[in-house]
Amino acid sequence: MAAATPKVDLADLQGDILRAYGNDYDHTTYAFVKIECPPEQARAWFADLLDHVTTAEPWTKGKPLTTLNVSVTAPGLAALGVASEVIGTFSREFREGMSSRATLLGDIGPSAPSSWERGLGTGDAHVLLTINAQERVDHRRALGKMRTAMDGFGGLRIVYQEDTALLEGSREHFGYADGFAQPAIEGSGDDKARGGGVPLAKGGWRPLAPGEFVLGYPDEDTRVDPKRRLPNAPAAPLGKSGTYMVWRKLYQDVAAWRRVMRDAATLYKDGDEEKLAAKVVGRWPDGSPLVTHPEKPDPKFDASKSAANDFRYYDADRDGKRCPLGSHIRRSNPRDALGFEGHLSFRHRMIRRGMPYGDELPAGSMKDDGVDRGLVFVCFQASISRQFEGVQVQWLNTGNLFALGHDTDFILGDPNGKGKMTIQGDPPFFLSPQEVFVKTRGGEYLFVPGMTALSAIADGIA
Amino acid sequence: MSAQAPSAGPVTATGTARGNIHGQAIAITVFSTIKWWGKPFLPVLFAATKRVPKLTTTLVQLSFIHFARWSVITELPYNGPPQKKQKWRYPHMYFESNFNGGWEEYIDAFSHILTSGMTAFWGSSYGFPKPLPTAPFKAYIQNNETEASHYYSAYPDATTTMINGALDIDRKFAPLKRSAEGMDPDAFAAAWERFLTDSQHAL
Amino acid sequence: MSDPNRNGQAYGFQAMTPIQPGMEDDLRAHLEGMHAEGSPFAKLARTHMARFVIVPDFYNDRSWGQKEEHLDLQYLIFTSNLDGDIDSYLDELCDVVAPDAQEIWGRCVGCPADASGTALKKYLKHNQIDCGFFYAAYGDATVGKVQAALAQREKVIAFASRTQGLDPAELQQAFVAEFGGK
Repeated sequence: MAAATPKVDLADLQGDILRAYGNDYDHTTYAFVKIECPPEQARAWFADLLDHVTTAEPWTKGKPLTTLNVSVTAPGLAALGVASEVIGTFSREFREGMSSRATLLGDIGPSAPSSWERGLGTGDAHVLLTINAQERVDHRRALGKMRTAMDGFGGLRIVYQEDTALLEGSREHFGYADGFAQPAIEGSGDDKARGGGVPLAKGGWRPLAPGEFVLGYPDEDTRVDPKRRLPNAPAAPLGKSGTYMVWRKLYQDVAAWRRVMRDAATLYKDGDEEKLAAKVVGRWPDGSPLVTHPEKPDPKFDASKSAANDFRYYDADRDGKRCPLGSHIRRSNPRDALGFEGHLSFRHRMIRRGMPYGDELPAGSMKDDGVDRGLVFVCFQASISRQFEGVQVQWLNTGNLFALGHDTDFILGDPNGKGKMTIQGDPPFFLSPQEVFVKTRGGEYLFVPGMTALSAIADGIA
Repeated sequence: MSAQAPSAGPVTATGTARGNIHGQAIAITVFSTIKWWGKPFLPVLFAATKRVPKLTTTLVQLSFIHFARWSVITELPYNGPPQKKQKWRYPHMYFESNFNGGWEEYIDAFSHILTSGMTAFWGSSYGFPKPLPTAPFKAYIQNNETEASHYYSAYPDATTTMINGALDIDRKFAPLKRSAEGMDPDAFAAAWERFLTDSQHAL
Repeated sequence: MSDPNRNGQAYGFQAMTPIQPGMEDDLRAHLEGMHAEGSPFAKLARTHMARFVIVPDFYNDRSWGQKEEHLDLQYLIFTSNLDGDIDSYLDELCDVVAPDAQEIWGRCVGCPADASGTALKKYLKHNQIDCGFFYAAYGDATVGKVQAALAQREKVIAFASRTQGLDPAELQQAFVAEFGGK
């Protein structure tokens, strides 16, 4: 029925979007640059950068030591001299910026923008340089080159920088293997369909249309449109091969998390602290899904295998007794849990490319050491409001869709510190207190232009 | 209406004008012009939907909507000048709903899941595109929608799902409340556990 | 022959009244000023959800193949989803909402000079529009029942959370103290 989806032009797309660079790149620096010179000067610098930007083309001559990708905020587009009528064709939430949508996103109380890192959420972040490296030394060298180039042009200043590195076992700071479950995208060449796509009624999966993640391509709406209309995108030539990016620095209070789980586990009759914590996340620390392994982790689990992510909820666990209805992975990616052939969830997927930051709290320690640690959350999608915000607002900050009342995602925490999580069982267990385990320390909405678009911006023809 | 107080509950009423929002409750008000064949067809559809509960099963399962109504208006009562006696060429359909969650998610659910229902109710309206793809359908609803000037809910922090859950809990809790004091402690503890187990989907 | 406006014990009332030309802006300003917290409907305890909508005209789009059709005046729509008997509800409304009623229906064509009591009720009933299809998710539950059930749910959750780990005698004692012996 559907016409064949055009193949994504990988030479025009920046890298690390459709296919991850991979865990060999275990150091990533995010440098937010502010343009303080006239647009023409900024564009000269921008043009110079473009020669070094890594595309999505497959590497035929081995992996580069470092990669470079470029994204831009709405104030950044203006600082680069993009006409305001053109900026007006970008999505509304992108133009408003993340900090002005704080109430909507639940960035209130300790996560409010007034507490954010200096340089984030103020309109000063214009261009984000993302540098991935296989070794720390290369990553320093690449950043050094960037800074030298910037100094050469003048009027460019890094207003905020975050250096991140993978932790042992690709875990995040609460101790859970993370990042390996990603959407399956038609034509991306990655065999993630089993578990990563849209769950089909008869048990299989199908990949998602590329336009859900990359602009200028058919999305899920296009698939059912006889006229094959493409989704809204910024005006040509800026829209094609672009995507919207969400960047959020999330501080994780590991000591509080460990303490709350230890204390709550004393009342939990169905297992130990590790099991209770797994109930909150939906996976064991090694990544084994609770829904397939409700009592203990799978000794043979291998996150890198394509079948690792192939599991569903509706038939085996509709009532949440294996994997709680409110567990983090079930809320952020319900798969078939909501019934209706996945139609309530399939248009809310995101490509996640985040990285942990900061040194680990020593194992077993329950005392906060004052060290800044957490997750830089990064995701890519065609629509920030439908995909990122939809999940944040309708699935994580409230539990209504899952019949969980106003219970927020337990890990993200309740800004009032008062919530609870119901762990389904015979009888159920009520987990509390829901302290503030995660605080937003800053963030930006950005656009990742395709290569042609980048050149158009640099040439001043946008 | 303050949007800042954290204790006011999560912001979930997205994608709609402020006048349509009271806490978690969202109003949507839509008028559409009906083709000639809608005039005989719609009352039959309404009657069938009332008589055959199965037709509203999905609507109930989706659990977004508190109250909704459709009315076909062929003329308006006359109140004297300067109102004119209405002589409409077309019937007009009034639709309103009181629902929870994002506007976009709400319309998406109708497009994808209640596709034939949407076609039945809206198919006789001029300009109605098919429910899928969603973008033209959303544009159609937006054009035909009017923002409320005042909207009120008696329980603005509650959703339909929470209310149905609370009513279900009440049915199961009432007998336990009545018999609690007179029970043997062990029997009570067992009964309490049974109640929790049976009601956990709503707790 | 069942009442088309009824679903369970819930009732869907609608009145569509023409607005006096020239008074549309004042009416709109008054309605928008009635912030939901201070809504007159808060005084009408049998009201689940209610709205006022000003409809300036029908939406016309030539490309849809229809001839244009226009409302002669702007109209005010009032709908309420309420409990029980409509006549006694309207009696209450016309009594309790009096000052606002003057500012609202008092600006509509044909409204009695004193927009209250039986005269207002007659005006509203004259302009009533029946539902074709009225859906109610919990049509058997009154506002009072809904509010009580919601409050009870909160209490039950709080109680369940804080009594985990109590022995049966302690649990029973705490339960009776919290919820009474009824």
